[in-house]
Amino acid sequence: MAAKILPVVKFATKVTIAGGALYVAYDSGLLGDSKEGSVTLGRAKAAIPPAVEEWMKYFGFELPATPKIEFSPLDAWNSGVQKSIHALSVTPSTVSDYTKQGLQYVKDLTK
Amino acid sequence: MSEKELGQKWDRCLADCAVKFGTGLGLGIVFSVVFFKRRTWPIVFGTGLGLGMAYSNCQNDLRSRYVLHSKYFSFEQK
Repeated sequence: MAAKILPVVKFATKVTIAGGALYVAYDSGLLGDSKEGSVTLGRAKAAIPPAVEEWMKYFGFELPATPKIEFSPLDAWNSGVQKSIHALSVTPSTVSDYTKQGLQYVKDLTK
Repeated sequence: MSEKELGQKWDRCLADCAVKFGTGLGLGIVFSVVFFKRRTWPIVFGTGLGLGMAYSNCQNDLRSRYVLHSKYFSFEQK
């Protein structure tokens, strides 16, 4: 009798786990609007350091402090865009300058 | 839409994209392990679903300024 019920129990457990994961995702607003998603992200960010501390106390060892990286992808991207567009905008005048210089050099050689 | 508002909308879009990507990936992994014998396709499917949801949210958010709100009337020819 146990052998007959076991597959059903296994399937029921699987459905519970998968359904629970789906429900947790839905309930915490991860599947909703973009505003709800950013709220959840903020909550998760705020909840990570205490959780990490709890785990550290439980295991009894210290994680090395994460180094503060002073890199901002936003600033890097913005400055990259500005530099590329500026380079594109000065290309015609730069090219004409170099051409003139080159022609002048060749003229000087033939003099 | 002002520049500031547009920038905020894009920021929300990117954050939402990251959240939905992670959620889709996570749920795909759960389903793959639990139901589909650790095959790859549920993970890819879940990630795709997440990215699709993020795209749709972004689209609605960026369009919301220009959506016309009106009532529809039906006329009958007599």
